Amino acid sequence: MFTRRKPEIAEQELARIPGAENYSRIDVWWWLVALVVGVVILLSVISPDPYWRIILFVRDGLGITVFLTVVAFVFILILGMLGGLGRLSKNWFVHGIATLYVELVRGVPLLVQLIWWYFAFPVVIQQIGKWLHISILANYQSNAIVLAIFGLVFCYGAYMSEIYRAGIQSIPKGQMEAARSLGMSYVQAMRHIILPQAIRVILPPVGNEFISLLKDSSLVSVVAVADMTRRGREFMSTHFNPIEVWTMIALLYLVLTLFSARIVSWLERKTEFER
Amino acid sequence: MSSSELMIHISDVHKRFGRVHALRGVSLDVQKGEVLVIVGPSGSGKSTLLRCINRLEEYETGKIVVDGIHLDSAENINAVRREVGMVFQSFNLFAHLTVLDNLILSQRVVRKRSRNEAKDIAMSLLKKVGIPEKTNAYPSQISGGQQQRVAIARALAMNPKIMLFDEPTSALDPEMIKEVLDVMLTLAKEGMTMVVVSHEMGFARAAARNVIFMDEGQIIEEAPPEELFTSPRHERTKLFLSKVLSL
Ligand SMILES: Nc1ncnc2c1ncn2[C@@H]1O[C@H](COP(=O)(O)OP(=O)(O)O)[C@@H](O)[C@H]1O
Ligand SMILES: [Mg+2]
Repeated sequence: MFTRRKPEIAEQELARIPGAENYSRIDVWWWLVALVVGVVILLSVISPDPYWRIILFVRDGLGITVFLTVVAFVFILILGMLGGLGRLSKNWFVHGIATLYVELVRGVPLLVQLIWWYFAFPVVIQQIGKWLHISILANYQSNAIVLAIFGLVFCYGAYMSEIYRAGIQSIPKGQMEAARSLGMSYVQAMRHIILPQAIRVILPPVGNEFISLLKDSSLVSVVAVADMTRRGREFMSTHFNPIEVWTMIALLYLVLTLFSARIVSWLERKTEFER
Repeated sequence: MSSSELMIHISDVHKRFGRVHALRGVSLDVQKGEVLVIVGPSGSGKSTLLRCINRLEEYETGKIVVDGIHLDSAENINAVRREVGMVFQSFNLFAHLTVLDNLILSQRVVRKRSRNEAKDIAMSLLKKVGIPEKTNAYPSQISGGQQQRVAIARALAMNPKIMLFDEPTSALDPEMIKEVLDVMLTLAKEGMTMVVVSHEMGFARAAARNVIFMDEGQIIEEAPPEELFTSPRHERTKLFLSKVLSL
C-alpha cells in the first residue's frame, strides 16, 4: 500500500500507521494506570485518616468484587459458548431455547434480575420442595454470593451468547466445509478449526464484557453481598464522609478496570496470528 | 465391467434449495481410476452435484453410492467423507494454522495418526505438490497457486480413494493455473479417481475419459473430451462451448 504512494504523502501518513499508533497508545494507557495508582497511594500517605482507613475497611470487599467477577466470568464464557452454539443450531428446539433465553434475559434490567434471584428464586425452590415433599428443597437456604454469581452469569451469558454467535458467523463457511470434507465431525471442526479462529475475533468484545461485569458487579451490593460498594456504604454510615469514601471507591474501581483493559489489550496482541 | 470397479454411482438425484430446483434427476457412474470432467454454465448445479457426493449438501430423492457405501446414515456419511477428498475454488486452508499443521491436524484428529507419522506423510506430500520449503508459512503468506497445491496435499493426506475438484483454478491468476493443473495431471496418471468441475479444456483433453455438460440441473450430454468439444450433439452444449471458447 505504501509502495503506491508518493514519498511525501507516505511521510505525512507515518504518524498514523496502525502499528505505531498502537504502540504509542499502549504506553499512554499504562501511564494512566500508574497515575491512578499513584493518586491512591498519595492520598493514603498524605492523609491516612480517612483514606488509608477506608482502604483497610473495604479491602475484603475488594477481594469479593474480584472473586465474584472472575468466578462469574468463567461460567459466563462457558454459558455464552453454549448459548452461541445453540443460536446457530439447525435443530429448531435447541435454537428456540437459546433464542428465547437471549431475548428474554436481555429485556430485563440486571438489577431486577439480581433481586429476583436473591428474593424470589429461593421461595420458588421452597414451594416446589413443599409440593413434592423434598425436604432438601423445602428447607433451601439462599446463599447471597452463590445467587449473586448465578444472577450475573445468567444475565451476562445472554450477551456473551450473541458475541460468540457473531464471532463464529464471522468465520468463512468454507472453513467448516473443508473440515467436514476431511472427515471431521461437527464438534471436532468447531473445536480445532472454528473456535480457535473465532476467539481472536471475539476477544475485544469479550474483554469489554469483563470490564462491564467488573463494574456491574457493584449491583450485588443490594442483595446482601459484602462487595466493595457495600463495604463503602457501611463505612460511610458510621463515619459520615461521603466525599472521601466514594472518591476512594471510584479510584479503586478505576484501578481494577484500567488494569483489566491493559491485560485485555495485551492478550489481543498475543493471540494475533499472521495474516 | 464388474460392479467392484464402480467408485461412484448416482441415480436420479433431485435437490432443491427452497424454490430453486438445483438438481433434476442426475444419474452418472464413475469407474475406478476414471477422471470425469464436468462443464456447464454458472448456476447449472455442478457444485451442488459435487457436494452431494460427500454430503456437504443433502439431497431429497435418488441414490448415491460411493465405493459401495450408501450415503444414508450418519456413520456412512463420515465413512464416505474419509474416502473422498475435496478441493475448493477458494482453497479453504485453515487460516490459523501453518501449511504443515494444515496437513497434520486432520490426520491426527480423524485418522488418529501420531504426530511424527502425520508429519512424515505431510512432508512427502508437500514435496510431491512442489512446496517442500514453505511448511511454516501461514496460508495468507503464500500465493494462490501454492495454497491450492497445499489444499490438494491436505486432502491427499487422508488417503482418499476419490478426489473431487470444484473449479480448482478459477480463483487463480493465469500464471498459477498450470502449477495446479500439473499436480492434478500427475494424480490422474497415478490412477486416482477424480471428478473435476473445470473449464480447463487442456486438462480435460489430457486426463479425462469423459466430459459431462450440465445445464439447469440436468446432464445434457456425456462424451469423450475430443468429441464433446469438437462435435457436440446438443444445441445447448454448442451454445455454451461457443461462449467459453470465445473468451
Ligand atoms: N446454499 C444454497 N442456497 C440456495 N440456493 C443455492 C445454494 N447453493 C446453490 N444454490 C442454487 O442452486 C443452483 C445451482 O448452484 P451451483 O450448484 O452452485 O451451480 P454451479 O456450481 O454450476 O455454478 C443455483 O441456482 C444456485 O443459486
Ligand atoms: Mg460452482
